[in-house]
Parts: sequence; structure tokens; C-alpha cells
Amino acid sequence: MTAGVAIYAVSCEAESKGARTLQKERQLNQFLAEVERRALRIAEIGVRDRDEALDLVQDAMIKLVRNYADRGTDEWAPLFYRILQNGIRDWHRRQFVRNRVMVWFRRPATDDNDYDVVAAAPDLAGRSPEQELQNAEAMQGLEAAVQDLPTRQREAFMLRTFEGLDVAGTAVAMGCSQGSVKTHYFRAIHALRERLQEHWAGGKAQ
Amino acid sequence: MNEPDEKFERETRKLFDRSVESLDASTLSRLNRSRQLALAEAHQAHTGLLRWAPATGIAAAVLIAVIVTRGPTNVDGFDLPVAMTDMEILLGEESIAMLEDLEFYSWLDTVESEDGDVS
Repeated sequence: MTAGVAIYAVSCEAESKGARTLQKERQLNQFLAEVERRALRIAEIGVRDRDEALDLVQDAMIKLVRNYADRGTDEWAPLFYRILQNGIRDWHRRQFVRNRVMVWFRRPATDDNDYDVVAAAPDLAGRSPEQELQNAEAMQGLEAAVQDLPTRQREAFMLRTFEGLDVAGTAVAMGCSQGSVKTHYFRAIHALRERLQEHWAGGKAQ
Repeated sequence: MNEPDEKFERETRKLFDRSVESLDASTLSRLNRSRQLALAEAHQAHTGLLRWAPATGIAAAVLIAVIVTRGPTNVDGFDLPVAMTDMEILLGEESIAMLEDLEFYSWLDTVESEDGDVS
């Protein structure tokens, strides 16, 4: 009798856990589908290479699912971007070390190694070629300006403006205080405006 | 933030959104594969744990059954009265102090019954 009750209780618990797991997987799928494109572009601006950015986004997805799937859904975005930003920072550290080592063995740079602007350029989406060109040029200018920002300013700007995280979420993603986020963001906006306003004076993105 | 800053923010966000919308099909496909890979790992981790749940449950149930039906019925070599299980002792209203001298009471009972036989 007791054994039967115990088996029933365990099987009910397993069934209920299975249903919860399935629901959690659906929520994870939905969350990742919502953030993956923006995350890719943010990573791409961070490392200037789409393939590397794809790898970083995939790593961030796997780490989020592996370590934080049980957290509340509202915590996923800051945690995901924290993982991604850490990945980008690690990537830069590795590149720095690699470049210091490889500088002695490097051949002269060829065009094959350059970032392929044409391959990374966005596809047409119903806009005229002139508008596309104007947008592409504006975006390239913005990307270059963002890439030249100090790391923390760049992170604050991309998380707040591109991803739309609030100050609290950005602070979690960056691993710093909300006051620091506000300072970095303020400085980033002003540095970008100063650099880009002359380029953007002639026309806006369409 | 002042109005020019907010305007600049809106424009940059719009520009970024356009670049996101315009990602090519090949890149979107790779993103989708990455997502499925991550989710597959989560699924595998969960099902890996769940696979052992029924076996663990059955083992626990069998253990409970064995303990309940074949649990120790004597303490320090002293045979407890048949009806007196551990639970009854714990739930009974008798003073728990009496149980410490249970061996003495058993001896007393034996002596009394022997005396009765003699007389």
C-alpha cells in the first residue's frame, strides 16, 4: 500500500516536472528568438566579424540555457547580455594576446582577411537603392563611432539604445551600479553626437 | 536627457532596427540553428535527469516497504510486545520515561507469572 502510494507520488511528480520543463523550453525558445538578431548585431559591432559574433551569440545562448533556465523570464535578458558582453570582452583579450604573439609570424595583410562590408551589408527590404545606400552609410558611420567608444560606454550605449534595456537591466548586464550606467551612457551619447552630427546633418535614416 | 539627445537616441535606434531587419537569410538560418542547439542541450539535460526518476521512485518505494514490513522488532536483544511498534510507542500517551525501564517491567512480568505458577 505504502509502496504503491510512493510510486504514484513519484510518477505524478515526474509528469508534472516534465510539463514544467516543456513550458520552460517553449519560453526559452521564444525569448531567444526575440533577442537573437539584435544580440548578433550588437556582438558584430563589438568584434567586427559576423562569424565570430555568431559563435559568441551561440555560446551565450547555451550558457543561459545551461545555467539560468530556472530563473524568472524577466531576468533572462540582463543575464543573457551579461554573458554576451563577457564573451565579447574575453574575445578581445584573446585577440590582444594572439596579436602580441603572432606579430612576429604574421604575413603582410591581404584583402582576404578584411572585414567583408559587402557580405555583411543588409539586404534590400522594399526601399529604394538610394535609401538603402544612405542607411547603410549612416549605419557604417554609427558602427565605426560606436566601436571607437571606450568599452564601458560602448556597452552602455548598445544595451540601452539598441537592445532597449532599462537602467536596472543594463546595470545587471554590465555588472556595475545604475549610477555608473547613467554616467557611461551620458558620455557615450554626447561623444557619438559630437562625432556624427556633421555626417547626419544632411539627412536622416529612412 | 534633453531633447536633442532623445532625438539622437531615436534615430540611432531606428537605424539599428533597420540593420537588424535586413539580416540575410543565411545568417538567420545560422541563428536558428544556434538556438535549436542550445535548446536541445537543455532538453537533453532535463530528460537525462527525468530518465532516472521512475527507477529512483521504485527503488525508494521498495526500500520503504522493506523497512515497514521487515523493520527491527527487538531492541538490544529484548523482544518487544508484538503489538507495540515504534510508531505506537511514539504516539502513545504513556510516559516516555517508562520505556527506558522496559526490560525491568518485562522481568517483573516474568517473575510474577512464575510466582503465579508456583502458587
